[in-house]
This record gives sequence, structure tokens and C-alpha cells, in this order.
Amino acid sequence: MNRYSRQILFEGIGQEGQKYLSKSHVTIVGCGAIGSASAEALARAGVGSLRIIDRDVVEPSNLHRQSLYDETDAKNHLPKAEAAKRRLQMLNSELQIEAIVRDVSSTNTEHLLEGTDLVLDGTDNFETRFIINDACIKRSIPWIYAAAVSSYGLTMTVIPEKTPCLRCIFEQLPPPASAPTCETAGVILPIISSISAIQVTEAIKILIRRYELLHKSLVQLDIWKNRYVKIDVTNARSKDCICCSRKIFDYLSQPQSLVATLCGRNTVQVVPNAGFKIDLKQLAEKLRPHGEVQINRFLLRFKLPEGYELTIFPDARSLIHGTADTTTARSIYAKFVGA
Amino acid sequence: MVIYLDNAATSYPKPTAVASAIQNALEVATSPGRSLHKLARNATLIVQEARQKIAALLGCTEESIVLTYGCTDALNMAIKGILREGDHVVTTALEHNSVLRPLRRLSKQGIIKLSIVDFDEQGYVSASKIANHLTPQTKLIAVTAASNVLGTVQPVAEIAELAQKSKVLLLVDAAQALGTVKLSLEGIDLLACGGHKGLLGPTGTGFLYVATKTKLNCWREGGTGSDSLSALQPEEMPYHLEAGTPNVLGLAGLAAAIDYLLERTVSDIAKHELRLTELLLEGLAKLPKVKVYGNRFDRRIATVSLSVHGYSSEEVAAILDESFQIAVRGGLHCAPLVHQQLGTTEQGLVRVSFGPFNKVDDVEALLAALLEISQC
Repeated sequence: MNRYSRQILFEGIGQEGQKYLSKSHVTIVGCGAIGSASAEALARAGVGSLRIIDRDVVEPSNLHRQSLYDETDAKNHLPKAEAAKRRLQMLNSELQIEAIVRDVSSTNTEHLLEGTDLVLDGTDNFETRFIINDACIKRSIPWIYAAAVSSYGLTMTVIPEKTPCLRCIFEQLPPPASAPTCETAGVILPIISSISAIQVTEAIKILIRRYELLHKSLVQLDIWKNRYVKIDVTNARSKDCICCSRKIFDYLSQPQSLVATLCGRNTVQVVPNAGFKIDLKQLAEKLRPHGEVQINRFLLRFKLPEGYELTIFPDARSLIHGTADTTTARSIYAKFVGA
Repeated sequence: MVIYLDNAATSYPKPTAVASAIQNALEVATSPGRSLHKLARNATLIVQEARQKIAALLGCTEESIVLTYGCTDALNMAIKGILREGDHVVTTALEHNSVLRPLRRLSKQGIIKLSIVDFDEQGYVSASKIANHLTPQTKLIAVTAASNVLGTVQPVAEIAELAQKSKVLLLVDAAQALGTVKLSLEGIDLLACGGHKGLLGPTGTGFLYVATKTKLNCWREGGTGSDSLSALQPEEMPYHLEAGTPNVLGLAGLAAAIDYLLERTVSDIAKHELRLTELLLEGLAKLPKVKVYGNRFDRRIATVSLSVHGYSSEEVAAILDESFQIAVRGGLHCAPLVHQQLGTTEQGLVRVSFGPFNKVDDVEALLAALLEISQC
């Protein structure tokens, strides 16, 4: 009996849909909670090839929500992309999987997305989403935005030239430290599953060419507060959108936040590209439950139990002590300061 | 408006004539020596003029000036051009990585033996300490003319005398000194300097002074614009060491910068910068949470390193930049052994360095900012 028989029986997919799926190539950028859930669903559904890109390693605090990883992965500090590949291969041996342990950046994203039919967002920061949006609009690749924190999540499907793009909806980056992150506000698994379920269903519709069935909305869920909101974006494409209308891909050309290892200091400096002002006192309140916080009018120092120490300044530049690795620093910055 | 106090990294602003000289060179000059048309001749003239001006500033012949792409380039050229298997080298803990790294690589590869002399509490190395390390195999003494961290001016004349007496070659790293410190070439065999610090020129320029009797192997080989039939790099100095198209635009700027320097005079600039340094040191002495490193009084350039209790050097630099628009440098300043000896590797040091265009107001603004930071 064909392993996909029950899926093929589902009239929305059928033999033809399954054939399309088996020939498709999907890239998942960021394989944390949503990335794990969506990768697993697509692997089980029988997509042909998956490319998993992630810069982080598995940590114990990931395990309550990042379904591809287990305690051994965390103990061995395995890169998520590698651990995901191993697990997914066990779920489906026919699947072609490429694991890429890397930070996606303005300079490498177009290259990393080459040859893919669809991109799924599993990232944890807005700057990377803007880069993905630019690359996908430029290369005409559909992508599905998805984000979740606390009990709240969002998703939107972007089909180049057909739907609004992310920049039609969010023109600018939110200032650092303005939005909650999983590290500061926590997160529960059910919102991950819910957002991933919508993302994967949209993905399948795209891969089997049933564009008319897409939800055409910015979907917002808060499963704790029982709020299910669907904002119709059919007419939200902006004629002035810098990305999809004016075709200015500024996140592919302008340098991202400047990240530099300080000479011989086991410290990395992150300087956000745009000028920001953050409220150190507010940030201090958010960070206090997670480590030791020291604050004065010039800076905020935040000591993590893992040994890293962050010094954050009011313009959002930060010194991340305890690592000389820019990728690690970028990841810590995204988790605690946010972007 | 930013208050720029990072002149030890590169001087800023440059004299206004520098930008116009570069602009002019862009319009009228191409590549020198390779062709005979007017645009090429103009480029040749620009390169010649820069060489002449550097020679005039140092008081040496033009043939002794090898134009380079910076001080690091010149130091590598000197170190790799002079040292052979079995040689011994004496250098100091004050050196910048551009001296230390090439020497340490040669030492690690077993090609040379290396001795590193430490500095005293005030931040000086002495000729007598260097003398203690000399052996019959010692080929070279490599020493900085002024520390890029502590700002202390080293006794180059005494060391030169020792080198001459001991028949050892002397290489001087003048990156931080030229422009404000007058150096006699007596007894110096090799002297390296960049064009973009005290000489007030653009980045990507520099030179190596090579005394007439000193013979260097070239470590960069290629086109010289002349003698093309020769299978090997021509022996004639300085072309022996100048393979590749020179930085014509940069050299045009550097020539204009040296004009400014000679007109205002090196001693006037030194006097101006040292007055600011003195004011700074007086002010810092009143800040109990600020510690100053190195000699405070004489034999120094306008570079001061300090720490603020309770802060790392990068934190202080970031606060000065963000909250006070004052540009200084925090960290290790590419001179790891200085920090090792001072015990400041963990915190780093905040380096303040003045240039010819700083004002008394700049010093006051910095002192006020440091007071505020140290009280927080």
C-alpha cells in the first residue's frame, strides 16, 4: 500500500497533487519551533526535497516546542539544521534533504534560495524576513511568513506579483526591543502547531498549484485569549511598495546590522543599521526574569545564566561578551534585543 | 558634529588641500611610468612629488624612499626583506601587531630567533635592556618610535647608537611618531610609516625609508613600468621594492598633506597637540574613577590611554560615541603585549588621541563626559 494513500484519497490532493508534491523543492529558513513543525509535516506529506537553513544549535530550552529535536541533540549541541536532517530522514527516507548551517544575510540569501519552489519562514527576527521578502520578490519565489511568540501568532502568504508582499504590510523594521521574543515573553507549543498548520496547508496548496484556495489574509491567532482574526489582504498590495512595486531591494543591497568581532576580546559588537532609540528601563523589566540586569542612564548590562553578557546601549547597539563568533552573537541579539 | 579624538587610528579631518589634490589627480593623471602620454606623465610627476616631499620631511635622498600602501606594507617589506635563516631579532613589548605578527611567524617557522624586551612602569624601553639581549646572531632591532597605546616616545637615538656600535640593523616603526616627533635618521637603517596618521594624508599610502647601504630582498615582485625585458625585478632602488601601480590618488593627497605640515610646521602641531594632552591629563587627575596609563609628563605624543572604573573600554567608547558624539577607540589597539604587561587584556583601554584640528573645547567636552560616566 502506498504510504501516501490516505493523502491521495483526500480529494483536494489526489494522484496529481501527490505527484506535484514529490517533485517540489521547499526551503525552510530557520528551523526552530515553526520550522520544525512545518518541516516535519512536509516531510511526511512527501515533498521531494527540503533545504533546511539554520544558524543555531539545539538547547534544552528548545525542547518543549521544537518537535524535531531531542535531549541527545541538546546535550551534544548539534546544529539544528543537522539534527533536523537526521530526524527527517528517519521519518521519510525518500526525501532529499540539504542541511545548511549558516546565517542568512543580505549577501547570501539569493544564492541560498536558488532552485527552490517555495520558501517557508521559520526565522525569529524581522530583519531576516525583510531579506527573504526582497530575495523572493526579486526571484519570483512564493514564500510564507510565519511568526509566533507567547500564545500569539501571525502568518501571511506572499505570491510575487499576485499578493501583497511583507513590505506592503510592514513598511519598516520594528525598533529593536519593541517586540516581545520567545526568550522574553515565553511561548507555548499549541500556537506553534496552529501557525505551522496554516503555513503548511498554504504550502501544499501552492505546491499543487491550487492558488485559488489560498486564504489571502494576514491571519492572527491568540489561542490563549481565543482571538482568531483574519484580515483580508486581497487589496492590500501597495502601489508605492518599495519592494514589490518599486523593485528596490534595499535589504539585499544595504548592509545588515554591522556585526564585528572586537580584536582579541571574545566580544562581538552588533550595531543595527537604522537609527533606533530604545527604552532601557522597559527592556530591563523584560529581561530581569531571565538573568542579572544592571542599568544606568548610559547602558544596560544583562548577564545570562549560560555565561554570555550583553551590554545594550540606548541606540540598540550591543556588545555581546563571551563569544567571538558573529553568528552566535547575532542569534543572542535577536533573542534578547530582537530585530 | 562629532568630536574626533581617534587620530592615532587615522587623522581626521584632513587639510582641505588633500581632497582637492585627489580630485585633481583623478582628472589629470592615470598610471605612471607605463606610458609616455601626458596623463601618464602627470601621474609620474605626482608620484615623484610625493617622494620628494617625504624625503624633504625626513631629510634624506629620494632613492631611499620606497612608496608603499601603508605602514604595515612597509614593515612587512622590511622584515621579510632583511631576515634570513638563523638570524636573531630583538623587539619590544610595545610593538603593534604589524611588527609582532610577521616576526612571530618567522620565529614559529624556526627561521629566526626572537627576543622581546619589556617596558618600564612609565612605558619606555631602554637601550641597555635591548643591549642585554643582543647575541652574535642578532641581525635586527625592531622598535616603535612611539607607543600606539601609551603615547610614550621611545629613546630611538640611544637605540640607534647601540645598533650602530653593535653592527645590528635598526628598523623603526614611525607610524605614530612622524608628523609630531622629529626623528634623526642617524643610525636608522629602516623606517616605516603610513601616510594617513600624523602625516595627514589619505589611507592606502605609506613608505619605507631604506638607508643607502641597506640591501633588501623584494617580497612583492611585478611590473615596474621600466626595464620590462629584465627577467627579474630590477635592482635599482627604490623601484626594486615598488612593483605594481602605485596609489597615485593617495600620493597626490599625501603630497598636499605634507605641504600643509611643512607650512604649519611639525613643531607647531606638536606644541598644539601636547597642550591639549596636558589639559586632558590635568583634568583626568581630578577624576578618581579614571586611571591613566603610561608617563603623564614628558617624552610623549598626544595619545592617552585610560580606563574608567566599572566599565569595559568598549562600553566607554560606545557611550562616548552614542551619548556624547565623541569618537575614541576602546579595546586592545592591536598591541597585545602592552596589555599583557599592564594587565589590561580583560578590560582593554580607552584611547584618546588628538590631531592638529582639535580644540580646547574638545578636551573639555571629553572631561565632562568622562565625569558623568564615571559617576553613573
